[in-house]
Amino acid sequence: MAFRGVLRNVARRLQVRTYAADAPKGDEMALTFAAGNKVFYDKQVVKQVDVPSLSGAFGILPKHVPTLAVLRPGVVTVIENDGKTNKIFVSSGTVTVNDDSSVQVLAEEAHPLENLDRGAAQESLSKAQSELNSAANDKAKAEAAIAVEVAEEILKAASG
Amino acid sequence: MSAWRQAGLNYINYSNIAAKMLRRALKPELRADALKRDESHVRITPWLNGRPAHLKAAGAK
Repeated sequence: MAFRGVLRNVARRLQVRTYAADAPKGDEMALTFAAGNKVFYDKQVVKQVDVPSLSGAFGILPKHVPTLAVLRPGVVTVIENDGKTNKIFVSSGTVTVNDDSSVQVLAEEAHPLENLDRGAAQESLSKAQSELNSAANDKAKAEAAIAVEVAEEILKAASG
Repeated sequence: MSAWRQAGLNYINYSNIAAKMLRRALKPELRADALKRDESHVRITPWLNGRPAHLKAAGAK
């Protein structure tokens, strides 16, 4: 009986899972972040990356579990090794976290927040909203709804 | 399931719209250059019996 208790104890200990933050120090995360318009990072070692995905926003630290996700429009936050925070708005794309802790963020279009124009964002939001109201069929309605969602997200990022 | 998927759109369509909206929200000095990425052009040349049959430029979004 005592032996079985020990076995159970050992089994329980083996199952203990740790958070990414508990990962041993010295582990590095190489980030590649590129878009159709620009390459932002090329295998640069960074501390943390926060990405907005269709299945929810999440942060990536070294030793993150391998993951694939599609991006939703929003702000990608990169915390560089010297502690500097870099915020870049992505339209859409993919994020890949590999077993060796390397991360690829590939966006169709990406721009630093300071390149966004609040007035232009407001204008394109109004246009998208009126297109949504006058959409004739389901497809046009869905397209306009996406445009509204993206415009709102851009406006939020440009204002904040 | 998201509304756009139900309407028959896929993520490529979603991504195209999102990228387009982002390009329209850039500062004016950056916008002109960015808008050039809105459209891409493909030249298609069908071949017949080892020779190009005719040349046609097709515009694709």
